[in-house]
Amino acid sequence: MKLEDFELGGTNLKSSDFKTGKVLTTEWEPDLKYAWDDGVAIGRYLAELRKGRIIARTCYGCGRTMLPPRMFCELCFRPTDEWTYVQDTGVIETFSVAKVNWDASRRGPNEPPLLPAVIRIDGASEGMGIMHMLGEVKPDDLKIGMKVKAVWKKPGERTGAITDILYFKPAAAKVKAKTKAAPGKKGKR
Amino acid sequence: MAITEKITSTTTPTFWEGAIPVRYVYTYGLAGEKFFRTVKDKGTFLATYCEDCDISFVPPKVYCDRCFNELDSYIDVGTVGYVETFTLSFRNMDGSEKQVPEILAMVRIGDTDGGLIHYLKGFEIDEIEIGMPVKAVFKPKAQRKGAIGDIIGFGPLK
Repeated sequence: MKLEDFELGGTNLKSSDFKTGKVLTTEWEPDLKYAWDDGVAIGRYLAELRKGRIIARTCYGCGRTMLPPRMFCELCFRPTDEWTYVQDTGVIETFSVAKVNWDASRRGPNEPPLLPAVIRIDGASEGMGIMHMLGEVKPDDLKIGMKVKAVWKKPGERTGAITDILYFKPAAAKVKAKTKAAPGKKGKR
Repeated sequence: MAITEKITSTTTPTFWEGAIPVRYVYTYGLAGEKFFRTVKDKGTFLATYCEDCDISFVPPKVYCDRCFNELDSYIDVGTVGYVETFTLSFRNMDGSEKQVPEILAMVRIGDTDGGLIHYLKGFEIDEIEIGMPVKAVFKPKAQRKGAIGDIIGFGPLK
């Protein structure tokens, strides 16, 4: 059965019906401000980001070092035990080349695509990591498994936010190896 | 142990602030469209009436919410109403203080069972009584958009 065969209820409206005033409408923009309590784990995590460090939380039960940190282990069902500093380097687990902005507006012809990625952080357990942006790299050069390193804001400019890390860039060693495959990238840094 | 790791200083707890950008365009539906179109073009109110239940609806509904009858005849019920209940508002939408309080009332329209919540304008607070008749004051026709804001408020009969 095709969609046309169903008798559909309701009133079909086109966007032109709104623009031309064929139907009356009311518009509103609610003021949706919020303040969210960080809690113990994320509070410390953000405070450490301000200092230029990434902190995780270790569970003695399963031995995992969890990032972002949490005060309770969902596998062992018990409180986690220890604060653990991890590296600001990691490995790209997956990434995307985004030609749209967060509000679905299209990026202009001269705007480079956004490169969001899930990054497994060195020192945290297998598969543990954070989502962040990639930078100083061409989309075509990106590979899953690529080593990356955080580029931080200057100490005075940090606010205790995940954006205290500007982006992750290919780690130096890998960039050198990369130049073999992609000669055009030489001297980029 | 983490659960016993408690925050002991009142300045330690931190919070994250943000704002969610949300914008909407709302259509009034079949009956609402007729209601506000009439407010815009004619400056009067429409009702629907269920004969089986002897109930009238303002703003109009396309069905009776007691017996689910379809209601498709619209009656002009005029612009005079009666104060069912009222209150004073000392705050703006954003929580800031109003210099002069606004009077808000539930106004039953004509002899219907329905009504509108709107401002009372042109009254001293002391002279408002429950049950007193009031009359809708509309914006000039050219300024009306087909919205609740087309009504400035309810004022004295004369």
